Amino acid sequence: MSESALDRTARALDLVPYLLEHQGISIPELAAVFGTSEKQINDDLILIHMCGLPGYTPLELIEMYYEDGYVTVSDPQSLKKPRNMNRAEMTSLLVSLDLLKSTRSDAISDEIEGLKLKLKGALAIENPFVVINNSKGSQFIEDIESAIAHGKALKITYLSGSKDESTERSILPLELYQENEFAYVSAWCQSSEADRTFRLDRIANLEVVKNGTITKKFTNNSLKDELASIELNVSKSARTFIEDNRGVIADVVEGGDFRVRLHPIDSDWLSRTILGYGSEIEVVEPRELSDDIKARAKAIRALYPKP
Amino acid sequence: MSDRKTERLINLTLALLATKRYLKKSEILTNVQGYEGTQEAKERMFERDKDDLRSLGIEIEVGDLDVFFEDEPGYRIPQKSYELNVPNLTGRELALLSIASSYWNDSILAPTAHSGIRKLQSLGIPAALDLDFQIKYRFENPSDLLEQLSKAILEKSRITFSYDSPSLKLRHLEPYRILFWNSFWYLIGMDLDRKGIRLFKLSRFLGDLEMSKKKNEFQIPSDFVVANFLPKSDPEIVHTARVEIRRDCAALLRRRGELITQGTDFDTYEINYETERAFLREIVWHGTNVRIIGPENLKTSLITLLDGAIK
Repeated sequence: MSESALDRTARALDLVPYLLEHQGISIPELAAVFGTSEKQINDDLILIHMCGLPGYTPLELIEMYYEDGYVTVSDPQSLKKPRNMNRAEMTSLLVSLDLLKSTRSDAISDEIEGLKLKLKGALAIENPFVVINNSKGSQFIEDIESAIAHGKALKITYLSGSKDESTERSILPLELYQENEFAYVSAWCQSSEADRTFRLDRIANLEVVKNGTITKKFTNNSLKDELASIELNVSKSARTFIEDNRGVIADVVEGGDFRVRLHPIDSDWLSRTILGYGSEIEVVEPRELSDDIKARAKAIRALYPKP
Repeated sequence: MSDRKTERLINLTLALLATKRYLKKSEILTNVQGYEGTQEAKERMFERDKDDLRSLGIEIEVGDLDVFFEDEPGYRIPQKSYELNVPNLTGRELALLSIASSYWNDSILAPTAHSGIRKLQSLGIPAALDLDFQIKYRFENPSDLLEQLSKAILEKSRITFSYDSPSLKLRHLEPYRILFWNSFWYLIGMDLDRKGIRLFKLSRFLGDLEMSKKKNEFQIPSDFVVANFLPKSDPEIVHTARVEIRRDCAALLRRRGELITQGTDFDTYEINYETERAFLREIVWHGTNVRIIGPENLKTSLITLLDGAIK
């Protein structure tokens, strides 16, 4: 629990200029911004209150008021401006900007480059990080973001990746995210009355529904044909299976091979995917999954009669 | 105890920051609140405090005093180096930074990104709220090694680590850059055993890494560009397969192929692919709706794969 005097000093030096620009902020807010407890912020404020310049008469002390949990600084003495950033802070911000840029269009990348130059003016550092994103981007990102921000519904034509079909759907987009090389939108899908995730590069067409909104229904029933307690033996040569499907993997135990347990999941998708790895992935359980995969393999094998 | 030390460090910072001229050590020990005990104890305390403040990244300038004073060094914190100064930072830019730093969720880069933002938010720039950005990032959590690797890169110290690969386990590397590539973390550098620039996945590092005590053991070539060393698609290795696709099936596969002939039940397409393994997975995924016509070696590989699954 005991925090070093140095950590507290650093926080106190940052608190005063922050308060100066956020007059009347509440203690809980401060605690959240500084990632510490309300009690700690209270203790810090009491301490800061007693600090000041040589002489240490009321005129030379840092002057602040805290009433009913709201804080105001009236005289910060020599702590008017925030401390300069350190190397770690600067590096994290530059990497964040590179990441943002990698998901965005050209117009904003110029703006971000300009911003990086401004920041580097405050502290020139060698940045040990490089961000590269080969995502193809999507022409629909801005429409989806605006729909999320304003609670608007969208009509999409979607080429399913798990069912091999193309469908028209009305969706209420909820979250947009980038994972591996792809961008996804998770949404309430009115057509299937369930939460669904769509990969942006598989959206063939998208229209904003004018004046149309969809209300999400809250349901608990899981709609997929799901299998529980799935255990696989994945050979090291098939480790891309693990890396590409982190979202469905519950845990991985490493031995000679990987022993992988999955979350409950759509069995059709799983059979199709595991089969693609041939003998590199072995189903430990359940039995019906391994039977299904073998049956599929035989059916495909029958397309290629032996000469 | 910690309270008194914290208070003294804050008072010392305030005093050294407020002064235009250098403050003599004797002035500091007499006037700044918190220095107590014998002369020797006070001096030791002051030496430690200076080191502590410097470890926070605060520059304490040491200067010779005016000849009228005794031969005693003076101290001050130059405002210019202490204070954050980002000229012309706009509210929109600050908003961009907040959005960007929120990508890290609660990973190892988040605390430093957030404290950086907090400092920028203390500059008194009005916030802009007109950005609709919603996209989030989900990525492999950066490993705890980032801090150490950054240090090795900045100090140009060689590292040794165990790597999970079938061949060579122990690697000796001159680390050049940490790479965040399509949601995964890598280290790129000069592999001293293989005498070439190699890429390593951070998730395959086993255990701790060892960092050489020496600094400046190598230089990153001035023309080094990470992008030149990434495995990339090479037009020379693109192959073309001919497949039959059942009517109304495999829309995604059709999208990237070229229609050759249209049939009643099956259409024939030509599709380009780079790696056989990945392409076979895609074919198999479509079950009996997609059938390979050629080339012959691709068909043979598919049959081997299926037989492996059946046995």
